[in-house]
Amino acid sequence: MIKRFARLFVPFLISGLVIVGCNSNSGGEPNGSSDGKVKLVWWSSDNAAFEGANKKLIEKYQAAHGNVEIDLQTFPYDALIQKLKAAFASKNPPDIVQMFGTWVTEYAKNGLLEPAPDDAFKSELYDAALGAYLYNGKVYGIPNEYNIENDGVLVHKKMFDDAGIAYPPKTWDEVIGAAKRLTVTENGAIKIRGLDMTSSDSTNFMFLAMILQQGAKYWTDDGHVNLTSPEAMKAMTALTDLLTKEKVSDLTLAGSTEEPYMVFFKGASAMTTAGPWTISEGKDTFQVSDFEYIPFPSFTSQPPYFAAESGWGEVVAKKSKHAKEAWEFVRFMAEPENAKAWNVQTFTVPANKKVAEDPEFVQEVPAMKTSLEALQYGQWIGPVGDRDYWFKAVFDQFTSIGAGKISVEDGLKKAQDAINQMLDRNQ
Amino acid sequence: MSRTRKGALTRAETRFAVFSLTPVMLLFGLFSLIPIVWGIVLMFYEYNPLNLHSPFIGMDNFRRLLHDEVFLKSFRNTFRFVAIAIPANIVLTLSIAIGINQIRSRLWKNTFRTLFFLPVVAPIAGSAVVWTTMFNKDGMINIMLNMFGLQSVNWLGDPVTAMLSIILMTLWADIGYNIVIFMTGLDAIPDVFYEAARLDGASGLKAFRHITLPLLSRTSLFVLIMTTISYLQMFPQFKIMTNGEPRNETRVMALDIFDNAFTYMNMGYASAMAFVLLLIVLIITVLQIRLGRSGWEY
Repeated sequence: MIKRFARLFVPFLISGLVIVGCNSNSGGEPNGSSDGKVKLVWWSSDNAAFEGANKKLIEKYQAAHGNVEIDLQTFPYDALIQKLKAAFASKNPPDIVQMFGTWVTEYAKNGLLEPAPDDAFKSELYDAALGAYLYNGKVYGIPNEYNIENDGVLVHKKMFDDAGIAYPPKTWDEVIGAAKRLTVTENGAIKIRGLDMTSSDSTNFMFLAMILQQGAKYWTDDGHVNLTSPEAMKAMTALTDLLTKEKVSDLTLAGSTEEPYMVFFKGASAMTTAGPWTISEGKDTFQVSDFEYIPFPSFTSQPPYFAAESGWGEVVAKKSKHAKEAWEFVRFMAEPENAKAWNVQTFTVPANKKVAEDPEFVQEVPAMKTSLEALQYGQWIGPVGDRDYWFKAVFDQFTSIGAGKISVEDGLKKAQDAINQMLDRNQ
Repeated sequence: MSRTRKGALTRAETRFAVFSLTPVMLLFGLFSLIPIVWGIVLMFYEYNPLNLHSPFIGMDNFRRLLHDEVFLKSFRNTFRFVAIAIPANIVLTLSIAIGINQIRSRLWKNTFRTLFFLPVVAPIAGSAVVWTTMFNKDGMINIMLNMFGLQSVNWLGDPVTAMLSIILMTLWADIGYNIVIFMTGLDAIPDVFYEAARLDGASGLKAFRHITLPLLSRTSLFVLIMTTISYLQMFPQFKIMTNGEPRNETRVMALDIFDNAFTYMNMGYASAMAFVLLLIVLIITVLQIRLGRSGWEY
């Protein structure tokens, strides 16, 4: 009987072992090098500007550190997100990752990242940019970018001139007034949007900024969100009024791949709230240059406060066999001279205060002026947990309120409950 | 070689069977059985592969499903899609199969069969991208509408038309397979029944109702079951063409499972959703098999 059993299952066993044997460590990332050099594997997104800037810094670093070899591996944005999760979950991560700040907290919380050996550089960075890189008093990476999606608006000045509207609009009421006049409707449908903000990112960031600009908070002391405060209700009412009362935009493209900035560069909107990164998109991808990027006025008489996610930066994997060398490279990237070169080439807002305040920087990237002047008003968005879940929860309710399917109060209550439940699960 | 008793396999036959089945069983075990068992285990945990701890939470994931508005909507959308797309598919494919079967020329018959089957060969993700551009504001379909003096339609952005647009694309992409199956079924019906019906003076419609439909019931049952299983799990076109929007009107269960598993990394919760989908597929399939039983041969 045993013999018969063995005869039947030994081939299964052998085949299984062969498969396991073939698979063993084949996907592992090499951490050493046969020529005695320390080899660091660095993963980043395949954004051409980022890749170019990263390669320049690698060349510079390797020239000064002959014992280190850095292998930059790039992936499309969506693939990078999934590969990172798979690599860290399987305990086989690269040494260094260029991560978006909001992702960092989850990896740090689960002990997957190596904290900075010292955090003296903290004071050199804006708090809003550093926020997501901090966890339990330790620093888990250095941001290169201050991610900013607020306080700026793309404008087709020619549309203002053609309509004889005073330019630039300096108050919230002036923006809305101009948007109403610039909206073109044909056969009951909007052909040119006066002011577009109907993407998940634009809606969420505007909503949070409008709460802050009323002097209110959206975080409670126990780490939950409060989206049903009078200020939050007022903000959401004003936002959805843009669709229902002012009729300066509509929901026909909400949630589609046609982002508001794309609509703008195709000439189908007069103004669009967007981050400064869209400027280079407009010039490079859409080949449009006759537009301006101007400050977006505050919703109230208070300064234009806004919430910001921590931007792109470098983290080091806990599992790295060369964490010390990896951190040395990360610190090298954050040196003001190198950070400036990276920000200029990638057209990103600096996380480093010295770079942002350097008059030469704004001379090199004058289109960044509006954003640089706004940096003082930014604050870190906070520990949002699952950022995609949060943004979808708010945006779903925004579209439902805008379509008249639910009241502002009920919609915000639903979003708040969904987000708080997610935050509880993420603790 | 000798057989020790009737029906028993010789050693050589056993060895052949074991070696032949080993690769298939390994593949089945690795890529079907283990993931299914793993998925069933996961649904009782708060599991995120990045997390240090994955607490056992019993039936909490199922309780959460009952109050998850997005999931409930995706549940309704899945059935809305299936309820419209499957009858449309079967009526369309059966009609086309009968039409092609009427063609006497072998060349034209094969040509039409190939033409209708071509979209099945194309990757559905690629087809979805092409149809997305066709449904765009300035896409081919709106251009054609404008040519006839009709207004453009926001096909994928309007909650009313978005699901219909995806159903249209799915039908285009998918009918070829069922046409071929139905044609095979039609070919298998002996001509003698139709000749007898003609001699009795039966019209074409009567012959279809009393001969074709009953004798095609086994084929129809197969088509119905396979299409139902496939459509309940439909994913690529929903992800690519609308990503569940607008207002979650095209969010189906497969898309919601994907988002929870790979966007939000709630794999335990996604496993609970997948289990519900598995149960639905199982129940519908068993029901279809029981209701569609036939006790005849020809």
